[in-house]
Amino acid sequence: MFELNQVMPFPLKEKKREKGSEIWNKHVQFKSGERIKITAPSGTGKTTLIHQLYGLRNDYDGVIQFNGKDIKQFNADQVAIQRQLSISIIFQDLQLFEQLTARENIELKRILQTPFYESSKIEEMAQLLGIRGILDQSASTCSYGEQQRICIIRALIQPFDWLLMDEPFSHLDLENQHLAIQLINEECNKRNAGFVLTDLNDDQSFIYSRTLYL
Amino acid sequence: MNQLNTILGKIIRDSSGKTKLITAIIGLFVAILLLLISVQLQVNYNQLLNSKSNRDSIANFLVINKEMTDATLGNTQLGDSIIKRIKAQPFIDAVGLLTPSRYKASIESNSERFPFYTDISFESVPADFIDLNGTNWTWNEQSPYVPIIIPSMFLDFYNFQFSLSQNLPQLTPAVVKMILFKVTIYGKNGSRSFNGKIVGFSDRISSMIIPNEFMNWGNNLYASDSNQSVSRLVIRTKDPGNPILTQFLHENQLTTDSDKTRFSKYRKVVDAVVRIAGFTGIVLFLFALLVFTLFIQITIANSKIEIKRLIRLGTSPKQLSRFLMRKFFPIYCWLIFGALLLVMILQFLLKTSLTKQSIFIDFFISPITAFAALFLLVLIWWVNHRTIKKHIYQ
Repeated sequence: MFELNQVMPFPLKEKKREKGSEIWNKHVQFKSGERIKITAPSGTGKTTLIHQLYGLRNDYDGVIQFNGKDIKQFNADQVAIQRQLSISIIFQDLQLFEQLTARENIELKRILQTPFYESSKIEEMAQLLGIRGILDQSASTCSYGEQQRICIIRALIQPFDWLLMDEPFSHLDLENQHLAIQLINEECNKRNAGFVLTDLNDDQSFIYSRTLYL
Repeated sequence: MNQLNTILGKIIRDSSGKTKLITAIIGLFVAILLLLISVQLQVNYNQLLNSKSNRDSIANFLVINKEMTDATLGNTQLGDSIIKRIKAQPFIDAVGLLTPSRYKASIESNSERFPFYTDISFESVPADFIDLNGTNWTWNEQSPYVPIIIPSMFLDFYNFQFSLSQNLPQLTPAVVKMILFKVTIYGKNGSRSFNGKIVGFSDRISSMIIPNEFMNWGNNLYASDSNQSVSRLVIRTKDPGNPILTQFLHENQLTTDSDKTRFSKYRKVVDAVVRIAGFTGIVLFLFALLVFTLFIQITIANSKIEIKRLIRLGTSPKQLSRFLMRKFFPIYCWLIFGALLLVMILQFLLKTSLTKQSIFIDFFISPITAFAALFLLVLIWWVNHRTIKKHIYQ
C-alpha cells in the first residue's frame, strides 16, 4: 500500500494552480489492488509523482510510505529488491538499452530476480502485442511504438504488486493501445496487483478504482 | 546468473583498451612474482641457517674475548657492564662465563708402556653449554675420576702429527675415552693427584673443559690469588652469521672465531637482494593495484549512464558489484596462480642446483609463500571490492 502524507514536490511549491490538487499536500492512500488513474495537464508533476512512488526522487516535503515504511528510509539494496519483486514501471522515456536487442531488454528484467515467467512468455506477450518479429532486433532500430511495447512487456515479465505507468501508450495507435490494455489487465489480475497510471487524456481504457486529479 | 552477467557484459564494456590492460597485467604479474620470490628466498635462507641438515653444531656457540692489542695487553678482563650489555642483546640467547684454572696442573700417563707428561690448564663452562649427552658431567671429592672434555682438534693433532713423529700408535676416540691418566694440581696448599678421564670431544670451545664443581674446588684451595675476573665468554646465538652480531663485537673491541662469523658477509648480500626484490615488488604491486583500481573506475565512469539505468530498473548494487568483481577477479586469480607456479619451478631449479653443492633446501615452496600469495589475493579482492562499492553506491 502507498500512503502519501502532505507530499509536495519542491519544484511545484511556488507554482500557482488554477484548480486544487487531490494529491499534493493531501493525505492519500493507494490500497493494494487499487487501480488509480492520475489525470492532469502537462507540467503539474505526473512524472514527478510516478518517480517519487518508485523511489527515484527525494525532493519533496511530506512523507510517502510503502507498506508502512517511509520510502526515503530504504537503502539502495532494499530499493532494488522492491523494484525486482513489488513495484514494476513503464517509464515515459522508455529507458531501453540501445546496445541490447528487444529480447535482451526484456530478458534482463526477467532474470534480475528469480524469474516469474519462463523465457517463452516473452515471445507469447510479443506475439500478443505484435512485436514478435523485432525481438532479436537492436532496440535502437525499433520505432517508438515498438519500443513502447517492449517496455510494456519488460514491466509485465517480472513479479509485482504495483505497476506504475507514466503515459504508457503515448506512442501507440488505438488498436495497439487496446491490445496493451488487455495484456496489462490480464497480468495485473493474475497477480492481484494494483496500478497507478498517469495520462493526459481522460480515457476510460481500464476500469479504474479511482481517478485523481493531480 | 551467467545469463545476467552476459547481458550486463553487453551493457558495461571496458573501453580502456587492450594494450593498457595487458601492460597492467604484466606489471601486476612481475610485482606478485617479485614479492613471492623475496618471501621464498627469505624462507630458504632461514632454512639454511636453522635446519638440522645444514646446521653446523659449532656455529651456534661462539667464544668471545677482548681483541689482543697493545692497549689490552694484560687487561683482557671483561667487566660486569660489558657482560650485562652482551646478555641484553636480542640476538644472543645465552651467555656462559668461562672460568680459567688459576693453579698449575699437569697430566701424565699411568702406564709405562705409553708414557706422557705435560703441564696444562683447564677451563669450565656452565653445563648448558656442554654438548655431551648422557655423560655424568659433575665432580665431587668421592668421584673416581675427573671428567675432561678436550677439543676434537687435539686428537687430530695427535693422530696425524704427533704420533707419526714420535712413532706412537694412533688412537680412536673410543680408545682415548678408556685411558685413565693422572691429573695433578699444585698451589698454595701443596699438590694433589686425581684420576682423569676424557669423556668427550668438543668443537665448541678450544680448551680442556672440566666440571664447574672441580674448577671451583680447585680454585678455592689451590689458587695463588683470589682474582675471579672473567676474560672469556661463550655465547649461544641462533645466527652466528648475523651482521648485527659481528658489528656489535667489532664496536666493543671483542673478537671471536672469525670462521664462524664469516657468513655475515654473505648474509648481508642475501639480505640486500631480498630487501631490494621485496621493496621493488611492493612498489610495483602498489602501482599495479592503483592501475587496476583506475581500470575499474574508468569502466564504471564510462558506463555511468547505463549503470544508473540498470539501478533504475531494479538491478541491485550487489548484483553490479558481483558482476564487476567477476569481470576482474579471475585475472588476479590467474596471475597469482601463474606467479606461484613460476616460483615453484624456480625453487625446484634452485634445489637441484644447490644439492650438487651439498646445500639442502626444500623441493617445494614453503607454506609461508603460499600464504603470502593468498594474502595478496585477499588484499587485491578487498581493494577491488571497496573501489567497486564506493563507485557503484555513489
